[in-house]
Amino acid sequence: MSAPAPTPVSAPTRARAREPFDRRLTRAVQTVTGRSLGPYQSAIVRIGFSLTWLLFLLRELPHRHQLYGFESPWSWGMAERLIADNRAFTVLLWSDGRIWFEIVYALAVLSAALLLVGWRTRAVSVVFMAGVLSLQNRAVFVGDGGDNVLHLAAIYLVLIRCSQVWSLDARRAAREDRAARAGEPPRRDLTGPLLWVVLGGFLVATTWFADVTGEWWIPVLLWVLWLGNGLWWLVCRYAPGEPRTLLDALANLAHNGALLVLMAEVCLIYATAGWYKVQGSRWQDGTALFYPLHLDYFTPWPTLSELLAASGIMVMVLTYGTVIVQVAFPFTLFNRKVKNVLLVAMMLEHAGIAVLLGLPVFSLAMISADAVFLPTVFLVALGARATRIRDRLLRRAPEKALPEQRRTDAQGPADEQRHTDAQGPADGERPAGGEHGPRTLVG
Amino acid sequence: MDTDVEKGAAGADGAGRTGAGIMALSLPYQVVVAVALAVTGVFACVHLAMVFLHVAPSNTLTKQNGQAVDDWIYPEFEQNWKLFAPNPLQQNVSVEARAELATADGGRRTTGWIDLTAQDAEAVRHNPMPSHTQQNQLRRAVDFYFNSHNDEHRPNGLRGRLSEQYMRRIAVQRLDALPSLGGSDVRRVQLRAVTRPVPAPRWGTEKPKTSAPTYRDFPWWRITDADRSPGAGADRNPADAAPNRTEEAR
Repeated sequence: MSAPAPTPVSAPTRARAREPFDRRLTRAVQTVTGRSLGPYQSAIVRIGFSLTWLLFLLRELPHRHQLYGFESPWSWGMAERLIADNRAFTVLLWSDGRIWFEIVYALAVLSAALLLVGWRTRAVSVVFMAGVLSLQNRAVFVGDGGDNVLHLAAIYLVLIRCSQVWSLDARRAAREDRAARAGEPPRRDLTGPLLWVVLGGFLVATTWFADVTGEWWIPVLLWVLWLGNGLWWLVCRYAPGEPRTLLDALANLAHNGALLVLMAEVCLIYATAGWYKVQGSRWQDGTALFYPLHLDYFTPWPTLSELLAASGIMVMVLTYGTVIVQVAFPFTLFNRKVKNVLLVAMMLEHAGIAVLLGLPVFSLAMISADAVFLPTVFLVALGARATRIRDRLLRRAPEKALPEQRRTDAQGPADEQRHTDAQGPADGERPAGGEHGPRTLVG
Repeated sequence: MDTDVEKGAAGADGAGRTGAGIMALSLPYQVVVAVALAVTGVFACVHLAMVFLHVAPSNTLTKQNGQAVDDWIYPEFEQNWKLFAPNPLQQNVSVEARAELATADGGRRTTGWIDLTAQDAEAVRHNPMPSHTQQNQLRRAVDFYFNSHNDEHRPNGLRGRLSEQYMRRIAVQRLDALPSLGGSDVRRVQLRAVTRPVPAPRWGTEKPKTSAPTYRDFPWWRITDADRSPGAGADRNPADAAPNRTEEAR
């Protein structure tokens, strides 16, 4: 787990090296149970994948029936026969009615949008997973690598605390935090319990339809999450001491474990892609890239493809570069600087693929997966810049218009500002209460 | 190192609590956390090992325990990252279809070959965000068909039979949508796959291979109601089509 939060700290690391082993072990156990690591990385992954899925669903809106609905050449009956064999999870087999399909599609869109902004993330991420799995498993033969990585990420995200920053949840938590400090009584939250009850209904339905909904472990996982959330609510209300700390530690464990798996998964993707390429004659003779540039399915801009394919040297450089970067990437995790350079190279290559091969959704999904390795400093700066741009846009809005909205927005940047501040001084305590410190890292 | 970030970030947790994690707990709770830590660690390691064996080439371990790996991975964790590997596809595969139509006077008429893949290529061209219906549906369907059939077009069990029906349904859907065939009653279809190698680059050392296309003909398939989506073609001459319904396509 060296990569997710590579803030430069030299002195403490060296001091730690001299610590006895058992002390270090204790510290490590305390870290993985006491904190959810990589808050910015998990948030950017959440934002990336939910945005990918949202854009995809909106783009396919006119084609949704032909992909996953009643017009699909992969008919409902055929899906039923295949799923009876492979036991994939989909709620679309509950009914072959069109209304049910529209509901599921709408919920998938809604969950992607809500996950993007981080509203009730824990619950929404479960709905998001159910949506991704349901639609993709309904017609597995229309997917590509992008769908595949999204499928995996949707499952892992359920266990990841991905709304610690850059989310409505974080903003709400900070607001409650402030209110508690000011001595105000906590506000009654009705949305959470309501959401819990509604999702409980779906869970009962999932159990009812367990025969056609997939393998046993998904309903079990859903039940555990649902009960866990209910327990968390109870504990927060009635037992805020040790029981709450215990549940928090368990959630941290799940988060850290899932984040580790997600990171390893990204490494496996590149390792597989790279090592299999090494064995190919076209990758060896440096012409591999030439061929996809001449496939009808992947040449949306034939002139552009032709231009790139015209230069043998260029094709070879890109061909070799691709293999080198993919094979090397997992090993560069041991060196922050090299890792970051390769990360930039991979993201640029995917951006190129998006345009050149006409695979924007695939590319966005891969970039979202890569983003788990982005350095915290960069992400914090990115967040600050986004906040600044938003502030500027809002400030330029006519003075008279929507004073109400401006007031709520003024609250938002303050929250995010706080995280930036907290990040800044490596040794200092976060200034208590004072939200508007100087921007240290991003100036 | 980023404890401060954490405190600031996880605002809800940071509020007025003295501690978090295993050190803040008394012994019985610590035991629970320790067990959970062990379970999480083992589970993550096993899962990663399974994923690794799934994406790795066939080896000693997968030859002995392939079933266990498959049971763990399928269906939700299935993955394939041989993207353009070991070699990129070096040929354009087109699916062409021709149909046997029932004419008004009770006879039969066979159309010429209609290139279905060309429709996709046309849709992808100058399209910054091609739909999966254009870029993946037919392309992956024919892939799936070849992977689940032998050279004599014999299916390998359930997936083979399903893929055959899938190809037929795609073909019928596309043919029905053609204005030139509009309203005519498709009784049988035949597909063929046309493979056109991408000529080797001019700047390469290899001589550009002969790029003559190779053809692979599919058998003629009878079209039944099962090959049409409900609503898509249900209202087209039901009386005329009725006599065919008993002949289930194989």
